[in-house]
Amino acid sequence: MIQILVRYCTLFVLTLLVLAIISFSLAYLFPGDTLENLTGLVPENDIQRAALERQFKLDQSYIFQFFYYVGNLLTGDWGYSFTSGLPLREEVGIAMPATIELATYAMLMALFVGVPLGYYAGIRCYSTSDHLINSVSITTYSFPVFWFALLLILIFSLQLDAAPMSGRISLLYDIEPVTGFILIDILLSDIENKSLAFKDALSHIALPTFSIGAIATASMIRVTRRSVIDVKHRPYIAAALSRGLSSWQIFFRHILRNALLPILPLMAIQITTLITNAMIVETLFSWPGIGNWLIQAIYQRDYPALRIGMMAVSFVVITLTILIDLFNRMIDPSREKYERATV
Amino acid sequence: MPQFSLYDEEFHPSPWQRTWASFKASHISMLGLIMLALFVVCAVFAPLITPYDAVEQNIDGLLIPPSWVTNGSISHLFGTDALGRDLFTRIIYGCRVTLGSAFITVVLAMLVGVSLGTFAGMLRGVRSSIANHLLDALMAIPTLLIAIIIVAILGTGLVNSMWAITLALIPQFVHHTRSFVRAEMKKEYIVASKLDGASKWQLFVHSILPNMTEMLVVQSTLALSIAVIDISALGFLNLGAQSPLPELGVILADGLDVAYLAPWNVAVPGMAIFFMVLSINIVGDGLRSALRKRVSH
Amino acid sequence: MPMLDIKNLTLEMQSSEGAIKALDKVNLSVSSGEIRALVGESGSGKSLIVSAICGALPNQWNLTADRMSWNGENLLGMSVQQRREVMRREIAVVFQDPQASLDPSATLGEQLEESIPDEFVQGSWFWQRAQQRKKIAISTVHKVGIKHHKHYLSAFPHQIPADIGQKFMIAMALVSQPKLLIADDPTRGMEPTTKTQILKLFTRLNQTRSLSILFVSHDLLAIASMSHSMTVLYAGQTVESGKMKHIKKRPLHPYTKALLDSAPSFRKDLPPKSLLPTLSGSIPTLQHLPIGCRLGPRCPRAQRACVQTPAVRKIHDHSYSCHYPLHMEKL
Repeated sequence: MIQILVRYCTLFVLTLLVLAIISFSLAYLFPGDTLENLTGLVPENDIQRAALERQFKLDQSYIFQFFYYVGNLLTGDWGYSFTSGLPLREEVGIAMPATIELATYAMLMALFVGVPLGYYAGIRCYSTSDHLINSVSITTYSFPVFWFALLLILIFSLQLDAAPMSGRISLLYDIEPVTGFILIDILLSDIENKSLAFKDALSHIALPTFSIGAIATASMIRVTRRSVIDVKHRPYIAAALSRGLSSWQIFFRHILRNALLPILPLMAIQITTLITNAMIVETLFSWPGIGNWLIQAIYQRDYPALRIGMMAVSFVVITLTILIDLFNRMIDPSREKYERATV
Repeated sequence: MPQFSLYDEEFHPSPWQRTWASFKASHISMLGLIMLALFVVCAVFAPLITPYDAVEQNIDGLLIPPSWVTNGSISHLFGTDALGRDLFTRIIYGCRVTLGSAFITVVLAMLVGVSLGTFAGMLRGVRSSIANHLLDALMAIPTLLIAIIIVAILGTGLVNSMWAITLALIPQFVHHTRSFVRAEMKKEYIVASKLDGASKWQLFVHSILPNMTEMLVVQSTLALSIAVIDISALGFLNLGAQSPLPELGVILADGLDVAYLAPWNVAVPGMAIFFMVLSINIVGDGLRSALRKRVSH
Repeated sequence: MPMLDIKNLTLEMQSSEGAIKALDKVNLSVSSGEIRALVGESGSGKSLIVSAICGALPNQWNLTADRMSWNGENLLGMSVQQRREVMRREIAVVFQDPQASLDPSATLGEQLEESIPDEFVQGSWFWQRAQQRKKIAISTVHKVGIKHHKHYLSAFPHQIPADIGQKFMIAMALVSQPKLLIADDPTRGMEPTTKTQILKLFTRLNQTRSLSILFVSHDLLAIASMSHSMTVLYAGQTVESGKMKHIKKRPLHPYTKALLDSAPSFRKDLPPKSLLPTLSGSIPTLQHLPIGCRLGPRCPRAQRACVQTPAVRKIHDHSYSCHYPLHMEKL
């Protein structure tokens, strides 16, 4: 047990190191002046430039620069953005929780809607309801996410005027950002009409979550259904039937657990797709998340922002992936290490 | 004198023939295949099918509605866009650009991924397990992020977005190839070939590669659908193909400005991408079912 | 009266070449307290009979029978609920590969305890019931000869050796106190020592609790010693059936004789490099079944009349279906 933990910790640190190397080298790879890319500060004259170079150890070898860079990262000095001039740490601190909130709700929708539907379709495989669920899921899965979001905006916002199409909350409300998760912040803040603010935030979050969540749900349905069908045809289910166990017992005791176990490693890949889709959808809904921020940064060629943004997103994604892998290893040590379920 | 009895000619189909027979038996899969073939034909024969030029602007005919609306005319089948370019021509060329570049991306990713994966699969020991874990962790980086970084370094353009998506697709191929090769190396027919004196290269080309083709075909269909969506997404965000290059995502982004006045500018390219991805997914699903049936019987 | 009585069971499947009869008028009966062996090569349809009795046939098979009854009640006429009840309490099946028949994500103890029928567990509070379940599980496991019950009951299926696995499957079958135990080739692929252990266990169970056993196998050596009666199956047709000692002394069907002869004998006076006596050819595939008596193409005594399926003839409990049986020259 301790061995596994140590292994995963080393893996985590190693991966972060690789990320830091990539992020550092980006300062050199991006077009433009290295010093500006690294710090975000534009020196006004040569004396300042020389001072900054000495501070950031640019006159010494690459290794020292890298160590200094890593030291800066760990202490929280992430440089400044070209466009806004604000410290990057603040900007990422506002943008990141917004994206995580969106992704979390979409993931919850995929888990609580997709997995039961997948089970249902798998148990009643090749029946009419299964064909229906299967066709709906493959159709939803084939939608390009940006077109799906556009259609939702056109239908619900413009035609039916049922949901707003940009922002996180109406400008009338001023919520203190405590956690960064707006629904929790509303509950924690002390404004007068909490329920109105909550409803407003919900209507803002509904369309983006649905557009990402629908595709993630479709993916979960397909994967779960396939896993349940595979388990149903195994010999131990037939042996359990021959012992006379009822279908409910077989489902709850045997099929549920065994179908769920191969799916868990796939969640990590789901999260990746989810975050990519979230980043795309944020631009359409003007949702102030990190995807929107990064895309604005690339339009404006804000290199320090890109560097730090890449580091932040990769950090979050890799942490989640490694946590999920660790979780899998701990609850099911009997399986082959590199076996993953398929669609 | 024993009775003279005729047995039917024994027909033992090869594995590919059996897969094709059970693929053909499913009507939906055949429908998907026909749709995909239509798209491929459009992509290949684009210059021959299209009536107009893809980038030629026509100031007199801005935002002509498509032919099924009363105001439209048959000479512009899908109408025109805000700059007077015929939408039908643009869509056909767009299929060509999107599908073609997605295809090239997948082939490139497959070549690199399979080589790396085989290499990692035939290695042993601590090195390979470190490489495995590292690769799995790096597989988690979102495609869009890689694309943004590459665009920042190299600039925008279709070719750069193709590089980005190739990089994003490689880890998937590496992972599946590696686990497949590791599983096969434990099997006894490999041991038999090794005892016969086969070198590692011969083992790979003659024993492992023919068995890998099925898995590769299935993975390629998955990767193709991902590549199509990603290339059009990057085009939509203006990080990949740039206007006026006819790429389905770019056409969609161009149509976004006039979406309220002329909704067909948004609907038609989106439908094109949707049906392309749908046909690839249906064909991929059908292939997977056919392969599964063949293995289990 | 026999407990399990199957008469003229026919199993058909529609294929591209027409109807294929995998089982053709099979007769089988098991009386109470006896061990019956069902013998046949692989491909003769033994596992299909077991599936048909269990009710677990895949959908493409059509089942017709003159009689298929358990303790007088018609199995085919029962509803799904009643059939499941019969399977739960009165018939138990032990399958071939113990590892494949166990759920890999649950411990052995859990799986054993869930098979215990509720009728045996008394107690008003749920912890009393759980305790009693545990007690019954441990005693059953002891009865089949697994000594270190604490270690094995908390282990997972992939951690136990094959012989413990098979004994555990027998324990799972016994826990519902069935009247008939169907063992579908339980000792396949086992070493002789473990095989003898399992067979001794079966004999002991039969003697102490008068448990009837239907032992399906193709290993004649093992079952010749322990079974009371035998049914021989070839390519889906029953060729001979009767008491073991009669068949051993005087096999009436050529196929039975060939089977008995082909068991390797360890006599000391055999000349070196002598051939094992077998029938030439191999069992026909489902697509190319011969008409009439299916042994026809391979039988050394086959003649023109063998194109007709022979009727079942009976002499004192010993039934055979052959036009030209051994030891009975037609005049």
